[in-house]
Amino acid sequence: MKSGWRLGAIGFVFMAMFAILTLQLWQVQVVESKDYLEEALASQVKVVHTPAPRGEIVDRAGRQLAGTTAALSAVVDGALVPKEAVEDLVSLLAAFTGMDAEDVTHIVEDARTRGDRRVVMSDLEESDAIFLAEHREEFVGVSVVPIPQRTYPYENLASGVLGYIGQPDERDIEDGASSTDILGRAGLEKTYDDQLQGTEGSIKFQVDAFRSVLDVLGEEFPEPGKTLILELDIELQTVLEKALTDGLELARQKYNPAGCDPGDVDEGTDDKGCPVRAVGVVLNAKDGAVLAMASVPNFDPGLFVNFDAAEYDSLPEGALTNFAVQGQYAPASTFKALTYAMAMEEGIAPEGVNSVEDEILCSGQLAKPLGDGSQQVFFNWTRSDDGLQDLHDALMRSCNTYFWEVAYALWNDYKGTEQENLLQNWAREVGFDAKTNIDLPFEKTGIIPDRDLFETWATNDDPRLDPNRLAFESPWFGGDLFQAAVGQGSVLSTPIQLAVSYAALVNGGTVWQPRVVKEIRTEDGLLVERNAAVALNIVEDLEPSTVRALRNDLQRVVNNPRGTAYSAFTDFGPMVDQVGGKTGTAEIIKKRFNDNGDVIQDSVSTALFVGVAPIDDPEYVVVVIIERGGSGGGIAAPTAKPVLQHLLNQPVTDVEAGLVAD
Amino acid sequence: MVLSARRTEPVTLLQRERALRPDILLILAYLALSGLGLVMIYSASAPRLLADGENPASLVRRQMVFALVGIGMFILASLIEHRTLKMLAPIAYVGSLISLIVVLFMPIVAGANRWIDFGFFQFQPSELAKVALILALAAMLAASRDKALHWTEIVRSVALVAVPAFLIFKQPDLGTMLVFGFVAVVMVFSAGTTWRQFAFLTIAAVVGSISLFKVGAIAEYQLIRITAFLDSTADAADSNYNLIQSKIAIGSGGLFGRGLFEGQQTNLSFVPEQSTDFIFTAIGEQLGFIGAIVVIGLFAVITWRLLVAAANGRDRFSQLVAIGVAAMLVFHVFVNIGMTVRITPVTGLPLPFLSAGGTAYIAMSIALGLGHSVWMRRSPVPVDVDI
Repeated sequence: MKSGWRLGAIGFVFMAMFAILTLQLWQVQVVESKDYLEEALASQVKVVHTPAPRGEIVDRAGRQLAGTTAALSAVVDGALVPKEAVEDLVSLLAAFTGMDAEDVTHIVEDARTRGDRRVVMSDLEESDAIFLAEHREEFVGVSVVPIPQRTYPYENLASGVLGYIGQPDERDIEDGASSTDILGRAGLEKTYDDQLQGTEGSIKFQVDAFRSVLDVLGEEFPEPGKTLILELDIELQTVLEKALTDGLELARQKYNPAGCDPGDVDEGTDDKGCPVRAVGVVLNAKDGAVLAMASVPNFDPGLFVNFDAAEYDSLPEGALTNFAVQGQYAPASTFKALTYAMAMEEGIAPEGVNSVEDEILCSGQLAKPLGDGSQQVFFNWTRSDDGLQDLHDALMRSCNTYFWEVAYALWNDYKGTEQENLLQNWAREVGFDAKTNIDLPFEKTGIIPDRDLFETWATNDDPRLDPNRLAFESPWFGGDLFQAAVGQGSVLSTPIQLAVSYAALVNGGTVWQPRVVKEIRTEDGLLVERNAAVALNIVEDLEPSTVRALRNDLQRVVNNPRGTAYSAFTDFGPMVDQVGGKTGTAEIIKKRFNDNGDVIQDSVSTALFVGVAPIDDPEYVVVVIIERGGSGGGIAAPTAKPVLQHLLNQPVTDVEAGLVAD
Repeated sequence: MVLSARRTEPVTLLQRERALRPDILLILAYLALSGLGLVMIYSASAPRLLADGENPASLVRRQMVFALVGIGMFILASLIEHRTLKMLAPIAYVGSLISLIVVLFMPIVAGANRWIDFGFFQFQPSELAKVALILALAAMLAASRDKALHWTEIVRSVALVAVPAFLIFKQPDLGTMLVFGFVAVVMVFSAGTTWRQFAFLTIAAVVGSISLFKVGAIAEYQLIRITAFLDSTADAADSNYNLIQSKIAIGSGGLFGRGLFEGQQTNLSFVPEQSTDFIFTAIGEQLGFIGAIVVIGLFAVITWRLLVAAANGRDRFSQLVAIGVAAMLVFHVFVNIGMTVRITPVTGLPLPFLSAGGTAYIAMSIALGLGHSVWMRRSPVPVDVDI
């Protein structure tokens, strides 16, 4: 065995090779085995998610405003599309659906990444579904399955309240949304998204390496979303929307008998004089329930179910916005009810008289040299003297002069003191200058201006403050209080705030939190949650005598021939004596003349009316605002009329223009 | 103390008959592996065949035929007398060269012309060429009685390997080329190289490989396969899919395995080419680490018996044949199993006696038979082991 070492060396090397294999097998099969077993199990199971039907939205009588049906949809199963088949599939699908190839690629790749299904085209026509079924071989991984789909049986009705749905964007996905989720984007769909969504179900399949399904391992059924039962009444809503549409149309015809189009600022097609929209709210004055709410023009939420870009682009500006909670308007003379209550409760009477029960002349113009930079002369809407009036007449006639005198007395007595903000504090007590916390998204706060706010604006160079004010010791002038007393200047309110504040003033001081949803129930009707009436505030200082006086004077606005809304309600019916209200006209563009005295710019005003009924024991508050619509008495009150008729069970008559009155 | 060749007993015919006694351990290991191979091929192929609507046993039946032929060839090869074999070596070598040339004119299948189609059977000349090379190399190296090889013999060996290696490279069949290289290095080393010669051979092999890459003679898919096993994190969807699935199958087997016919990855066809190149994954998943080391143990037993046969070989030729066969077997096992657990690249080498396939099984059986014949005809007396 002389040179046997070479054989030995070879044997050693061979055995070392076997040892290496054994060690590696030990590593894989014993040390790391658990990981591989998990991986093996995971790759043998495929989970397909089944979307939950979105919950229904029904009105107070159970009539369906939003529902869910199963629509045949083309879905692409990412696990069944091999890489090399993507290109062909995308071009086929793009041709079939008419979508951009880029969008289709996005969907297909997303499905492949997640190994799950994604909808390529929903709500298929039967012929399309059959075509896809017959061409399964070419459309690799595509199948036709029923997918829950949102429906809105009443189309545009209450769209501002219902809102709309949409697919998640990148930020939603970062926040944990799945790309197949359907999310509420606006309105109740957004506020109650969690309840409406329900819980996704899943089916676990055992699959082989080719992702062919061998067996069903288990199925979890989706849990449908909850049902929202609204306070809203579809019949009333229909009346409101028709009135708003008619009122807006009438206002446009008054502006231009041939009609007009407010156009678009961005496109340079805007017509600043053309009435742009009508907003309405009907609130239960006794508990804050929203019985109807609308903003016209509006939209069909179905547009977002199978997004139609052409239809979307053709929507008028602001059609998607619920201006009842997102619009901020100068309340103008409708705010006088608040100034009225403040004057009575705080005993603030014009100079030279002892109480608000004493009459003064409602002069056509008022000169009050406040000596602080305020304007010197104020004009009443009547331009000429309107006779002797006390506070009650002043509300009925909407006499600015009277309310300016009240503001002047307040300014003289209290400026610079703690009581300087008496008016603003009353406004805040009844719900202005704060969100009402209604169950709708994107609510605006409105503005009640005071010295603090103006000083803050001054510090921050806020564009809302006239920069000339900065030269003065304080940017807050007596004239600003004058303006605030009649709901102009910087005062802004949302329509829902106006409704809530009127409800509080006529119901004895309870500021209700408005609410659209009454109850949330399961699909089977079990109660999940009841939205009980919640008082945001109770105005303790509001005396019943003041409330009675206010109701009486609101009734005179409508029923007294000198009332600013009288002409609008002449054909109301016998129950008209149960209707009260207040008109308002907010000038947003002033009338301008050239040197020859010709009109070069007509004034443009937003018309407001707040109606209350039945006035003896108010149950309803109706707010109507027609943006750029003209005068409160001329167009807003006539628009509110059919709504109040419906509420008081009167035959509903057409919207007809009233006499121009503030 | 020197073990002398002097014996007290005379050499008798009886003695010769004793020498013809077969190596029971080797035969048992060979049959055990072949039997296990049939079971594993069935387990890996039946679900797929069923899914395709075919007879689940069709592949294993085919393999049984090959096994019977292979075992017959093993017996025949075991009985061949070594002097006859030595004379057959040049014929086998030239014959295999011819078949390797012929195959280049065959239609391309799966990206290579590796098969000659006889209708019922696809003959793969490169498998038999491995055996022919062992015989030719052994015959040439045995001619030198010197302890050390001359440089001329080194160059002749390289030339002897280079010709069929080039033909195989043309197919292309990288795995078989590597087998040639490994077997040649082991045999030349055994035949008695100096360290300097050994270093020269190694450097030549390395330089040769690098220049093949440089001139782009190696197809890209081969490069990707070769490098893929180095990167364990590469995308499962791409070239690594086979490797990742194979490792998952083996790893999920654990210590004791999922049980025969209970391998989910196997039953659900997750591992591609599982009946052939990746047959070891079926073993790993179903029989676990225990089953895997039994298989490796059986190969080790065969290797050990072949090396013992070499040590008792009647002449230098026989000894070199046994070593060559052992080297070929070990290399196949190492590269094939190593591939399934990602320590060696994917080269398409079958696992001896286990992978489905006709030529490979028969060629490997012939090779084993030749090694076995060395034991059958071992020297009745302790021999001068020249290696």
